Order: sequence, then C-alpha cells, then structure tokens
Amino acid sequence: MDITRREFVGYGIAAGAMGVGLRLPSSTHLPARTHYPCIVSPVQGQCSLPESVKGYCSALRPTAVTRRETWIVPAVVDIPSPIGKKLVEFLHRGWTIIVESGGGFAGHLNFRRHRRALRERLHVDVQAPVALWTDDSRSRRTPYVDYTWPSSAKVRDFSRVVPVGDQPGKIIARIDGLPVALKRQVGAGTLIFLGSPLGPALWAGDSEAKRWLLALLA
Amino acid sequence: MKKSIGDNMIPKDWGFERGLDLVKRAGFDGIELWLGDVSWFEMTTTDTQVRELRRKVENAGLVVSNVSTGLHWASPLSARDPAVRAQAARIVERQIEAAVLLGTDAILVVAGLVTEEVPYNEVYQRCVDALKPLGDKAARAGVKIGCENCNSEQRFLISPREFWQFLNDVSSAAVGIHLDVGNIHDTGFAEQWIEIHGPRITRIHLKDVLKHRGRCGDQSVYTNLFLGDNNWPAIRAAMTKVGYDGWLIAEMEARYRYAPDQQFYDTAQAMDRLIAGRL
Repeated sequence: MDITRREFVGYGIAAGAMGVGLRLPSSTHLPARTHYPCIVSPVQGQCSLPESVKGYCSALRPTAVTRRETWIVPAVVDIPSPIGKKLVEFLHRGWTIIVESGGGFAGHLNFRRHRRALRERLHVDVQAPVALWTDDSRSRRTPYVDYTWPSSAKVRDFSRVVPVGDQPGKIIARIDGLPVALKRQVGAGTLIFLGSPLGPALWAGDSEAKRWLLALLA
Repeated sequence: MKKSIGDNMIPKDWGFERGLDLVKRAGFDGIELWLGDVSWFEMTTTDTQVRELRRKVENAGLVVSNVSTGLHWASPLSARDPAVRAQAARIVERQIEAAVLLGTDAILVVAGLVTEEVPYNEVYQRCVDALKPLGDKAARAGVKIGCENCNSEQRFLISPREFWQFLNDVSSAAVGIHLDVGNIHDTGFAEQWIEIHGPRITRIHLKDVLKHRGRCGDQSVYTNLFLGDNNWPAIRAAMTKVGYDGWLIAEMEARYRYAPDQQFYDTAQAMDRLIAGRL
C-alpha cells in the first residue's frame, strides 16, 4: 500500500470541494508516521466530541509505532456519502478504519441519521444508545468496557454506549455483557466500530486505553 | 475590606427591594447577585432588566460585589454531554455580561463536578479546556472568574496545591479562586489556602463549618460565623499577610428558623469583628 500524506490531503481537498466537510488533516492530525500513515480525521460538523480528536492525537505522539495504515474517524454522527465511499475504498486497499460512534449524545433525530449512515455506508448495524448511569442504582452497570482484542483492556465507559447488533464480524468489547465494539474484515482491510468512545478516555490520560490503541496499531 | 451578602439569603416572600433595604440597614456595603437562584435574576432576565437591578441596588446605597450562580450544579462545565457543557459555558458568559452591566468585576463559577459517572481526570481536562476561552472572554470584559473551592460537594481540587496547579494549567490572569473558607471542612485549613493563593483570590465567601460532623442527608455542616471550627484569628492574619483587602461575602447555608432578618444583623456584626481583628 502506497498512500502518502500528499495523496490523502489531495483527497481532503477534493472532499472539501464536494462540500462533504471532511476536515483536512493538519499536522496535528498526523501525529504518528513511524512506519505507516495514521490519520485522525473528524468529519467536520459531524464530530460530536472534539475532546475525542484531542485524545487520539495526544495518544499518537511521534513515539507511537504504527505498523498499519489507519484512518480514525472520532465521534462521528453522520457519514456523508462521498466519505463513506472513501472509507470503503480505503478498506479494500487494506487500511484499518476505526469508526468511533458519537451517537450516544446525538439526540433522537441525529441518532437516526447516525444509525442509517452506519448501515448504508459501512453495513454496521447499531442499536439505540444505552444510558449506563441512571438514578436507579439497581439498574447501573459495571462502569467499564472490557476489550478482548487485540489485547485485553478495561476502559471506563462513556455514560451512553451504542451497542452493536447481531451481524458478521467479531465482538471485541462488551460492557456488562452488552456488545459495544466490532471488528470486521472488509476486502483487504479491517473495519473497527467503537460504540463507546475511546478518545475521551485517551484525552483524560487513561493508560490502559492508550495501550489498547497502540496494540491495535502495532 | 467590604462586606457583602448573597441575595439568595433574602427571605423568599420579601422581594428584592425589601431585601436590599434589609441588607443596607444591617450594615453591608454590597450584595452578591445569584444568577438563577432568585426570581429576579434568571438566565432569561434581559439586559434592560439587569440594568434595572443595578439601579435598585444603587438606590439602596449598595453596590454589586459579584455575580454568582448555582446553575453549574445541574449543568457543569465537566459534563460528558456536549449540550450540557455548551449550556454551562453560556451560563458563564451570561455571568460575565451581567457583571459588566452591574458594574462589578468578579463572578463565581463552580468549575467541575466529579461524580461516580464522570471521573476526576475527565473533569479536570474539561474544566481546563472550558476555562481557557472563557478566561479570554472575561479578560476582554475586565471581569475575573473565581472558581469556587467546593471541596466536599465537588469532590474536585481538594487540596490548595491541587487548585494552584489547576489555575496554572488554565493559565489565564482572568481566572482565579473564589475562596470559601467554610468549604474546606476537615480536608485542610482555610488560612493555608489564603496564603497559597494570595493574589489569585478574587473574592472570599465567609461561613463557619462544623468539621467534626460529616454531611448527612439534609443536615448541614455549615453554621454561622464563630459557631464552628474555623480558626478565625488565623484566617484574619492570613488575609493581612497576603494583603487581601477585597470583598468578604457572607454565605450562610443554615438560616434562622425565626426572625430571619436578625441573621443579617448578626452576620454583619460578626464580619465587622473579623475585619477589625477583634477576635
């Protein structure tokens, strides 16, 4: 795979010209180029958690070793069609695409857009957000997401998670039995969907979240 | 030093103007206005209505010492929900706007709230991130944001050095500490907080605290000046040492059950004794 930063920026410009609002990856969004490009690229106007972007960027400082081409889309709500097509194209070219859900706090209408975009663009089926913290202490769940792949990790939940439905792929994280992250082979690449935002945990300095991410990129 | 008291202390059925009259007669120099805690000063109160509040305050022979709010308990800057955070920032902005309209230069903000759901590290980062741009706005308006130390209730910034580091990380000359000497409970000593924060203190809230009693249900650990466990001579000496000559604002949580106006007189006299150092 021979994707260069220039090629990606070229795509970004094209995406901008198409009015799809993909934010150009600035230098801060290209934090780790040890071996392969790793791009953190929020969909402009569709990233519900700016702190998630900061989290990925802070975790992927230049010391991070990346051994696979990766495109991280933090806290996404809607996925415009041109971006969805690019994601699929990059997947078929062997990239790892991490799509982090920003649907938990998106509100009812935006969540419907989120769900439809995931289904139509990436064939990922998600269920309605689950509020993990309620006033009723009996219905509270254990507040940690248990990741099982590529390494085991326990990361604090993000209050409202977006569970994944029954579909092709491997469940790689659960919270109290509820599946919240999925890995699926798409062409030569790997699609990873995170229903519990990891970026805010990275941003808050959660070392286990960082270890998990770096294990994924290594 | 000048004496002030919150308008949320005014008995509910008294109304603003009658309350102002009481505050003046009791011997206070100013009044602290609580955005969202009283019917006359809400988020929906217009600029014109805020100017009218100022007129009433000045007609009563008082000035506004600062603008506080309790709205951040329900809408904290540290919330995970971005919509709640946006509302929290809007509350601070309205406080800044109101402070300018009211002719004062300080606001009180409860910066963050650590809960079972939202852990400390997230609260810290969100508050730092939120306060940087708000600090810029405050500086442009000539207003200082005082983050209150609500040690026990916030479960955040429990020690004075922790608070000091937090303010360093915010790194804005317009963001300091609104020190409440009653809120420290048994986690430390108010006089040490005064010494450490000195010039960063924007305002001081006064109340006493019963350190030997934990908060239990609705039972308050806060009490009137000189009834609790604060070391008032040490607090007064620390103010002198750091050169604090600003507003002292009474914040009584426990109210007199009878003759509520008497609490205003008693509190003002106690504050006079504190200021004079006759302890």
